[in-house]
Amino acid sequence: MSFSNYWRAFFQKNGATLALFLIIAVGTWLFMMIILPQLFMLDFSIRANVPPPKFGTEEHYYTLEHYKYMIFGSALSTDSFNIIDVTVFFRTIGAAIFVTLIDVALCYPIAYYLAHSATGGWSRLMVLSLIVPFWINEILRAFAFKIIFGSTGVINNFLVSIGILDQPYDFIRNDIALWAGLSYAFILLMIFPIYNAIESLDKNQIEAARDLGAPWWKIHWRVVVPHAKPGISSGCTMVFMLTAGALAAPQILGGPSSLWFTQIIYQGFNQAGNWARGSAYAIILLVSCIVLVLVMMKIAKVKFGEMMK
Amino acid sequence: MIQGRIQNFLVIGFVALFFAYLFGPLIVMGLTAFNTSGFPRVSPWDCFTVEWFDVLMQDARLVTGVRNSLLIGIGVVLLAVPIGLAGALMLMQIGPRLRPWLYTVTISPILVPGVVLGISTLLFWDRIGLMFGAEEDSIFYDGIFLTIVGQATFISAYAMLIFIARLQRFDPALEEAALDLGASHTQTFRKILLPFLRPAIGSAAVLAFLASFENYNTTIFTIVSSSTLTTVLASKVRYGIDPSISALAVSIVFLTLVGAVIFEISKRRETRRARSQMAVARGEETKVRKQRPFLTEPAFIMFVLIVVAGLGTVYFSGTVGVEECKIAVKEQRQAEIKRKIERRQQQQMFQSAVDTQSQSSSDQEDSKVTAKGTEGYQSVFSPGNLQGEIETQAEEEQPVKGTEGYQSVFSPGNLVSPSSDEPEEEKPVKGTEGYQNVFAPENLSNQVPAENSGN
Repeated sequence: MSFSNYWRAFFQKNGATLALFLIIAVGTWLFMMIILPQLFMLDFSIRANVPPPKFGTEEHYYTLEHYKYMIFGSALSTDSFNIIDVTVFFRTIGAAIFVTLIDVALCYPIAYYLAHSATGGWSRLMVLSLIVPFWINEILRAFAFKIIFGSTGVINNFLVSIGILDQPYDFIRNDIALWAGLSYAFILLMIFPIYNAIESLDKNQIEAARDLGAPWWKIHWRVVVPHAKPGISSGCTMVFMLTAGALAAPQILGGPSSLWFTQIIYQGFNQAGNWARGSAYAIILLVSCIVLVLVMMKIAKVKFGEMMK
Repeated sequence: MIQGRIQNFLVIGFVALFFAYLFGPLIVMGLTAFNTSGFPRVSPWDCFTVEWFDVLMQDARLVTGVRNSLLIGIGVVLLAVPIGLAGALMLMQIGPRLRPWLYTVTISPILVPGVVLGISTLLFWDRIGLMFGAEEDSIFYDGIFLTIVGQATFISAYAMLIFIARLQRFDPALEEAALDLGASHTQTFRKILLPFLRPAIGSAAVLAFLASFENYNTTIFTIVSSSTLTTVLASKVRYGIDPSISALAVSIVFLTLVGAVIFEISKRRETRRARSQMAVARGEETKVRKQRPFLTEPAFIMFVLIVVAGLGTVYFSGTVGVEECKIAVKEQRQAEIKRKIERRQQQQMFQSAVDTQSQSSSDQEDSKVTAKGTEGYQSVFSPGNLQGEIETQAEEEQPVKGTEGYQSVFSPGNLVSPSSDEPEEEKPVKGTEGYQNVFAPENLSNQVPAENSGN
C-alpha cells in the first residue's frame, strides 16, 4: 500500500487545502487539457466522417480512410498517390529543416558574441533589443516582411534603383519572403538556449586551446560546439517544431502556389468541413515531427534530459 | 594584429547586419503608418499623416477583436498562473521516478504545434458537450471559453518554467521554521511561499497575458465564430492590406516600449530600496534617501514629458497641411502622367503611320478600307494594333477619372505577361494606389513587348 502512504505523506506535507488545490490544478491540466484532448483527437481521426448527431452510432465506425487518403488520395482520382498533399507535407518538413539551419547559422555567432565578447551595459542592451521585436504580434511581423519584400517594397526599389535588378524580383512567389519571415519568427528561441549553453563554458578552455595553437574554427568545432550541443539541439527542436507547425506566416507570406501543411489542415477544418481528416492530418504532422526530432537527437547523440536543462 | 582587426571588423559587421534584420522590417512597417499612400510603402514617399490611426479607431471589427483578446488574456492569466504554480510545486515534491514523466508531459504542449492543440481542444469540448447534451449556445461551444482553455494548455507550461526557476532558490528551512512555530500549512503557504514567489507570479502573469494576446495558431481553431485581435488582423492582412495595420503595429510597439521603461524604472527603485534596507540592517551610517512616490520620480516625469511632447509633435505635423500636400503630390503625379501620355501618343502616331504603310502594301482587304478615307480610325481597329492601342486609350482617360490604377491592372499588357503579385496587392479599397502602377518599372517593360507584338 505504498501508494496510499504516498498520498497520506503528500497531504501531511502540504496540508489539506493546498494538497487539494495541487491535485485538482495539476489533474485538470494533465487530463482535461493535455492527455484526453489528444486521445480524443486520435480517436476522432480513426473514425468515419459523419455529422455530430451520428456520433457513437454505427455509422461512426473505426476506419483508417483519412490516413489512406493522405497517402493515396481519393478512390476516384487516377493518380496512384495523393500528390498534392504528400508534396506539401515533404516540402513543409524540408523547408522547416532549412529554416532551422538558417537560424543556427545566424544565432550561433550572435550567441557566442553575446556570451563571451560583449560586456556589461552593452550586452544588457543587446539582450533587451533581442527581446523587443518579439513582443510584437506574429502576424504583424509577417506583415512587415510582406511590406519590405513586395514588388514595390523597399528591397526591390533599392535593388532596381542601384541597378542590380532591372525588374523587381518576386520574393513572395519564390518563397524567399516566407523563409526570411519564418527564420525571423522564432529566432529568439534559438539564441537563448545557445547563449545559455555557451555562457557556462569556462573561458580558460578557449584560452588553452588558443595557446596550444588551434585556429579559431578548430576552437569552435572542438571546444565550443561540443559544449553547447545540448543548447543547440534544444534550440533546433523548438525552432523546427514551431516552424513546421506555423500557420500565420505561411498564410500571409506564402506564394500563391506554395502551401504549408498546416494550411491544408486548416482547410480541412474550415472549408472542407471534414474534421476527421483534419485531425488525422494533425496527428500525421505531430507524429512525424516528433519522430524526426528523436532521430536527429539520436544522430547527434544528445540526451533528452541534458537538453532540458 | 591586422588579422585580429579584420576579424573584429567582420564580427561587428555581422552583429550590425543581424540587428538590421531584426529591426529593419519593423522600422519600415512603422514608417508606412505615416505615409498617405493607400498601399503600405515608404518609397516613393507621399505625405506625412496620422490619418491611418483614425481609420484604425473606426474599425468596429478590430475594436471587438481587441476587447475579446483582452478578455481572453485575463482569463488565461487567471487559469494558467495557478496551474503553472501547482505544476511547479508538484514537480518539486514528486518522487524521482515520476518526475521526468510529469515534466515531459507538462512541457510537451510548448513543442506541440499550436494547430494541434487548437484542434484537440475544440474536438474534446465538443464531445464533452455532446455527452452532457449541452445546447448550441452553452459554454462548450463558446469561442472565448475554448480559446482560454486551449491557450492555457501551453501557457501554463511557460508559467511553470518561471516558477521552477524561482523555486530552485527557495530555502525550505524557512517553511519548516514557520511550521515549527505553529503556523498552519495554509498560513505557511500564504505568508512564506507566496511572498517569496511574488516576482515570479508577476512575470508569469505578464508573460501569460502577452503569449495569449499574440497567439494565433491555437486561437484560429478554438475561437469558432467570435474573433480576437489576431484573427481579425490575419483576415485583414490576407485580404488586402492598408497602412492602418502598420498604424496598429506602431501603437503596439509604442505601448510595449512604455511598459518596458516603466518596468525598468520600477525595478531600479526596488533594487535601490533593497540596498538601502541592507545598509540599515548592517547598521551603517548611510543617508537613507526617502523614496518619493512613483509618479514624482524624476526619471518618470522626464519620460512622460518626452512622450507627450513627441506625440504632440507627431500629431501636429501629421494633421496640419496633409490635404494640401496630398493635392500637391496628386498634381505632380498627374503632370508626370500627362507627360508620359504625350510621349506615348507621339510614339503611337509614329507606329500607326508605319502600320498603315506596311498593311496597305501587304494586305489588299485592308487597303480597301483605307481607301474609304478613315485612315485614323482604321489603325485603331486593325487587329495587329489592338493591344497597344487599348493601352493608350486607357491611359488617356486616367487623369480625368481618378480611378486610374484599375485600368492598368486589367490592361492587356498586364495580361500578356502578368509579372509579380502586383494585381493582388493593388486591389485594396482606396483609389490612390493606382498611380503607383503606372510608374512601376515592370509596367513599362510589360507594355513594350505588347506594342512590339502589335506591330
